[in-house]
Formats: sequence, C-alpha cells, structure tokens
Amino acid sequence: MTATSKYFSGAQKAHDAHHEEEDPKQYLMYDPKPRGEMNAMVMESMMTTSWKFWLVLGILSFLVATCFFYGWGYMINEGLYVAGVMRPSYWGIFLVNTVFWIGISHAGTFISAILRVFKAEFRRPFTRAAELMTTFGLIQAGASIFMHLGRVWLAYWLFPIPNARQLWPNFHSPLMWDLLAITTYVLGSTMYLFLPLIPDLAMARDRSTGWRKVFYRILALGFRGTEGEWRHLTTAMNFFAFAIIPVMFSVHTIVSWDFAMAMRPGWSSTVFGPYFVLGALHSGMGAVAVVLFIMRTTMKHMDYFIRKEHFNALGKLMLIVTFAYSYFFFNDYIVQWYGGDKWTDTLLHWLEEGPMAWMFYQLVLFNIVIPPLMLWSKKIRETPWLLAAIGLLINVGMYWERYLIIPVMLTINRMPFTWKLYQPGIEIFLTVGTFSMFLLFYMIASRLIPLVPVWEVQEGQMTHTLRKVGKTHVPTVSEFE
Amino acid sequence: MPDATLLAVFEDIDPAADAIEKLHEMGITDENINVISGVPIAHKMLGRPHPWTNVSRLSMGGAIAGFVFGIFLNFGTPYLYNVQVGGQYFTPIPPGLIITFEMTMLFAMLATFLGVFLDSYFPNYRPLEYVGEVSDGKIAVFFKCAQGEVKKITDALKKLGAETVKPAEAQQL
Amino acid sequence: MTVDLNLVGAKGAIAEAAEGKWGMTIDQDICTGCQACVAACAMENNLSFVGEEDAGYGRTQHWIRIERFWEGEYPEVKATPFQPMLCQQCGHAPCEPVCPVFATPHSPAEDLNLQVYNRCVGTRYCANNCPYQVRSFNWRDYHTIPERGNMVNGTLVFPLHNQLNPDVTVRRRGIMEKCTFCIQRIHKAQDQAKSEGREVEDGEFTTACAQACPATAITFGRMDHPESLVSQLAHQQRGVKHLEELNTLPRVTYLKEG
Repeated sequence: MTATSKYFSGAQKAHDAHHEEEDPKQYLMYDPKPRGEMNAMVMESMMTTSWKFWLVLGILSFLVATCFFYGWGYMINEGLYVAGVMRPSYWGIFLVNTVFWIGISHAGTFISAILRVFKAEFRRPFTRAAELMTTFGLIQAGASIFMHLGRVWLAYWLFPIPNARQLWPNFHSPLMWDLLAITTYVLGSTMYLFLPLIPDLAMARDRSTGWRKVFYRILALGFRGTEGEWRHLTTAMNFFAFAIIPVMFSVHTIVSWDFAMAMRPGWSSTVFGPYFVLGALHSGMGAVAVVLFIMRTTMKHMDYFIRKEHFNALGKLMLIVTFAYSYFFFNDYIVQWYGGDKWTDTLLHWLEEGPMAWMFYQLVLFNIVIPPLMLWSKKIRETPWLLAAIGLLINVGMYWERYLIIPVMLTINRMPFTWKLYQPGIEIFLTVGTFSMFLLFYMIASRLIPLVPVWEVQEGQMTHTLRKVGKTHVPTVSEFE
Repeated sequence: MPDATLLAVFEDIDPAADAIEKLHEMGITDENINVISGVPIAHKMLGRPHPWTNVSRLSMGGAIAGFVFGIFLNFGTPYLYNVQVGGQYFTPIPPGLIITFEMTMLFAMLATFLGVFLDSYFPNYRPLEYVGEVSDGKIAVFFKCAQGEVKKITDALKKLGAETVKPAEAQQL
Repeated sequence: MTVDLNLVGAKGAIAEAAEGKWGMTIDQDICTGCQACVAACAMENNLSFVGEEDAGYGRTQHWIRIERFWEGEYPEVKATPFQPMLCQQCGHAPCEPVCPVFATPHSPAEDLNLQVYNRCVGTRYCANNCPYQVRSFNWRDYHTIPERGNMVNGTLVFPLHNQLNPDVTVRRRGIMEKCTFCIQRIHKAQDQAKSEGREVEDGEFTTACAQACPATAITFGRMDHPESLVSQLAHQQRGVKHLEELNTLPRVTYLKEG
C-alpha cells in the first residue's frame, strides 16, 4: 500500500509541476515595454554592426560577384553547354532553384497574410522578417528563370508589349501564366511589405540623423499617423491580406503546371497543384525557423521580440504542414505506383533503386519522417536551434524533391534510346550565387529597415490583458478594430 | 480673432478620449480636431466620427479593370496577332480563367496601393504639424480654436492629463 | 471541304480526317541502320558537329537518329529493327502550345510544325513536351569554336563553312531546332510550281533523308493525294504510328512486322 502510494505521489508531483501556473510575462504580448523603449531597441538592433557582420558581408559579396554575376555572364557568353542540361533533361537545376525560391517566398505570405486573416497574434513580431524572405526569394526565383533561357537577352519578348513587329506572346503556354502570376505575386508582396513598413519608417525617420534620416524621410512619404492615414493604411492592409492568399496559392499551382501540363511520365499528374503549394509551405516554414534563429542569435534585442512561444507556434504549424505535405506526397506516388502504366512504373522503380535512390530516401526521411517524430514535443519546438536544424533538414529534403521531379524524372521518358542521367555543371556555382545574394540582400535589409514592426507589436500588447476570472488571471485578447 | 492651432500630447487612449469630449463641450467641432497616433486607434474609442476612405472603392475599380484586361489579353489579343498553334482552341477558356484571375488580382492590388497614396496625399514632403513623440506611442490631438480661448483650453486639457499643450508648428518631417 | 483543325479545336474528334498534307513512311523492315539519312540531313540542314564529348552527354544535333535496341540477355541477344526517329510533324503537336513566344506555330498552308529560329528564346519547354524527344537545342556556337577552325596568319578560318547550305539558316546558340521535312526544298518546289502556274506534284522533290537512303526505306510526299506512293504505303497493313495513344496525330507512318 505504501509502496504504490509513494510511486503515485511521485507521479502526482511531476504532474503538478507540469501543470504549474505559467508566468504570462514570458509571452511577448503580456510583457509590454513602453513604445519608446521598443523603438530604441529596434533602432539599436538595426544600427549596431560588429566585425563579424562585415566579414560575412564581405564573403557574401565576393560570392555574389564571382558565382552569380561572373558565372552568369560567362554562361551567357559561352552558351548553355557549360550547364548540365541536355537531352532528355532539358530542364535542370535552374528550374529546381526557381521552384525552390518561390517555395521559400510562400512562407512570408503565409505568415503575414494568412496568420493576419486568422488573427493569430503570435505573428506580430516576425511578419516583416518573413515578408522580406518573400521579396528576396522571388528575386532569386526570377533570376533563376532568366538564367535558364537560351537567349536571355531577348527575354523581353516574353512580355506582352505592343510592338511594330506583329509579335505577341503565347498565352496557351504555362510559362506565360507563370510570368503573369509571378509578376502579380512579386508586385503584390512588395506592396504588402511596404504598406505596414511606412509607420516604422516614420519612426526611424524621427529617431535618426544624417544620411539615414534623409533615406527614411523620403521612404516614409510624410506619414504622420493621422486618423485618415491609418484608416487608408489598415483598409489597404486588410484587403492585401485577403487578396494575396489566393494569389499565393495560384502562383505555385501555376508553377507546378509547368510540369503537370507536360506529357512526361511522372510529370503529368493532376495532384501537382496542391502538392507543390504544400511543399512550398513546408520548405518556407522551415526557412522561417532558420531565419528567426539567426535573427535571434545575431541581432541585438531580438530575444525580447522573438521568444520560445513563437518557435513553439511555428513548430506546430510546421507539424500540420508536414502532415498535409505527406498526404499529397503519398497521393501522388501511391496512385502512380498502383496504376501500372509501363513508363511510370519504370520511373518509380528507377527512383527507388536507381542511382538517385539515396536522394529519394533522404527526401522521405527529412520531409516526412523526421518532422513528425520531433515536432510533437513542446520542448523540441521551443528550442530555437533545434527547430532551425529541423527547418534546414526540411529545406534540404524539399530541394531534393524538386531535383528528383525536374532533372531526374525527365530522364525516364517514352523514348528509351535517349535516357541519360543529368549531371550538374555551372549550375552549382550559380545556385551558390543565388543563395549568397539572398543572404546578402537580407543582411543589408537588416541594417536599413527595422525588422520588427513595432507598431504592430504595441497594438498587440494593447489588446492583450489579464482578466480576473474566479481565482486566477486569464489572458484575454480584445479586438481594437 | 485669428485662429490658433494647438497640439496636446497624451500618454494613453482614456485621457485623449476625455480631452476630445472636453473639446466638444468647449465648442470645437470635429472638423477642427485631428488626432495623430503611433498605432491605429478605433474612431469609436476616441469619440470621433467615422473616417472615410476611398481605398475599398478603388480596389473594386482596379479589380474590374483587371478583369476586363485579362479577358482582353486572352480572348482579344489572339485576333490581333494571329498565330496558330495546335492542340487547343484558338482562344481557350482554361488559360483564360487563369489569366483573368491573375490580372484581376494584380490590378486590384495596384489600385489599392495607389489608393493609399492618393487618399493620404503621399508623398507629402511639405512641412506638417507633427511631434516626434507620436512614433513613441503617444497620442497627439491638434485642433483649431479662437486665440482668446487658448489659456482656458490649455488648462482644461492639462487637468485631464495632457503631457504638453503647445502651439502646433508645421515642421519639416 | 477543308477542316481547319486548329480552329475547330476538338481534340481527336476528327482524327481520321487529319492525315495532313506532307507525310512520310519509314519502312523499318528494310532499314539497314547505315545512318546515310542522318548524314544527309546534317549536310542539308547545316547541323553543327558537337564533338564526341558533348554528343556522348546527350547533346547530339541530329534531327533524325537511328535507334537501336536489342532483346534478350547475352549470348541469346536478338537485334530488333532499326528505328529512325525524327520529328513526326504532329497534327496536335504537344510542342506547339507550350512555347511562350510562338516560336513553334503550326503552318496552316503546309500543315507542318514550324520552328521559327529568330523568335526562339530558348525556354526548351517544347523539347520537354515532345514525346518523341526529337528536338535539338544549340547548346553552344559549335560552328565557330576554335576546334572547328584553322589558325591561318593569326586569324581563325573555318573551312567547314564552305559546306553550309545557303538555303538554310545557320543557328546561333540558345535556339531550338528540329526536322522541318526539308521545308526549304518544299518552298523551292512550290516556287517553281507557282512560276509555272500549277500546284506542287508529289514526287517532284524529296527530303534529304529520303533521297540519301540506299534501301529506299524512307518515302516522302503528299499524304493527301491518295494516288501518291507515300499515301499508299502508309495505308498498308504494316503501317503503325508511334505513341499513337498520345493523340499527337503524327504524319510519319512506320512500316514494321511484315
């Protein structure tokens, strides 16, 4: 009797400890600081640089100059033979990069638009950091598309500009839908990045001197914060939040249709639309985790704004997206596997047993196996470096997934005489170039614009109170609209 | 008597709302009052009239313009530039849906963005009435009143919790 | 009654009528795999020599290729008939709608799949979408690489340029190309016929590959004239169209398993 009660009392103690009252102050919304102080923190975080920053900036600039600009110039001059593309894999790493960067860009829209629509308050401190990923990711996606063109100096022919030569682009082509969709998305998300940025630029304008003051004064457009200005701004932001969500879904669906509309075994799958969108969210959320971890560890005062609760929430989102992605992944492969069409069969067997099988299994491991195994645990989700590591693995897995879909699946077609495995050439350098450019832009942006939307954080803190209900204080969120 | 423009700075929403009520009592109408703040504050909280905006109408206008443009791009331009490709109807409907959707969204977003600029008269680089404390989260109420009333109003507002009440000067931001 | 397939748009609904104007038959039972057609096509159409390394990596610039397969395991290996594969000039070409700049439209006059060299920007979607994989891309300016020239008095001289056919464009890098059914010969014959005030007769000219084949395995001509040789050959019982189930409506009929 005493033995069992001792065992149970130990378990009871642990249970009680687990359900101990949490200190609400650990949450950003319940730990308000005066706005002036938060402004000062953000300004300081933006303006302090260390030698490490300049070293990394220098390395990235060097990589961009050599790998991106010189490499691309060399390829334009010599021809695409320096890349690895050939018959039958006419599309290679350039398209993989395009799809990858568009995927990364979707996370920004997800966090700033979808979370805003669903009034998820935890989004407040990092919407801008995520939205910056969207803009810079789309720039790299655009660069990768132009890189893969055979005659990139004639790329303006893709645009529907009236001309005297009776030339017009072909709107039957998924590549043209791509062009319209990505243009819409790039313009839309840049506008959506800029609108909530205006009040923070005004804040920076008020608190800076010298060239920074001139820079912010011009960009802040004379914003003061009058009722009219806020009304116009919030109406526009609400419209954008709702409008950019269907655009986001349509963009990656249309990109996936570049492949799904083609008559290739493995490509001609009707589930590619949602499969790619979920894949984009999957890799994007992972990238956000990595970026937030880097922000928190390298920038001053970011540990006040970005806390364990945000990683926890991000981790839960990643878990949901993992399940959704796995659903579409299995939908795609199981249906093809069961069907037994001889070319698809050959392709699937080749994916599982051929020279790229290691990539396939790593994909499954990183995208489908590891996230659910680890993200169920609150402790793991709340550890920033661990979540960032999982995010990084997810991104590697998603890159492999696109590599498998594009050059590897192109290998197995209906003309066996042409089958040959793709080997990357200069694309590796150009990929390094795009990654370096993305990081470079991000580092420069972190010095030029306030990464945390302080006005949104303050707005959130104003709406969060602790209400006394019975014997305890209950966190409450009110709506100020 | 010439009108004076005063600017009162408040720490929080409640004193600001009381102050605006007091100004209404003292005969200053809503058109002569302006509120600047560091976060958007609902008009009802301050007892202010509903602010207008044209942005939503411009969004709708942009969406319609985009819709028409998208229809024209897919169903109109092939007849202007007559090139045949096989496998599909000359002006196919499914790509038309995609193009129309994208153009509708693009023009709607552009119109919304430009609408903010138009409605707020951005960019506005002329000197404007402003105080830096606003971006620190304070609420500034500036209003026009008769010159003689300045002392009375200043005292009343200070009693209600205004941090400073001073003449509003248009400053280069 | 002429039916404009592109305007009617019903995919496959009138497949039986869609024989096309210019067509070809290839007799796989007679083909010896000598590759004379490959060489002739390369000479006629200014195809560049890509070199051993690039050709081995899948960058051959052959508008027609002889595909060789075998059945069984060594030592019981059986050779199957050679399969010359070239652009099938599909009636419902999958390569046509996917080009974003209309560089591969369908010609209503000749009912051929055209390739407009100066319009191509090199997205290579057409090549990916071709189920026969018969499209070639100009990965490099192979005509003017130093290996093709001789250093004479300090300048590079390219003697192979003397061999180029003046009737055919020489393509720069970044451009897609494919078999055109020797459209330059079609046009020459049409010009000749027009100046004589008549239409082009079947048999007046032929493509380079058909001309060169020593086994007369390739026959080219007017598919829509029922009395032409190519039309009669195509309607033989041995006639098959490759990848017919994809509804591409190819104009090339293969005669095999006689």
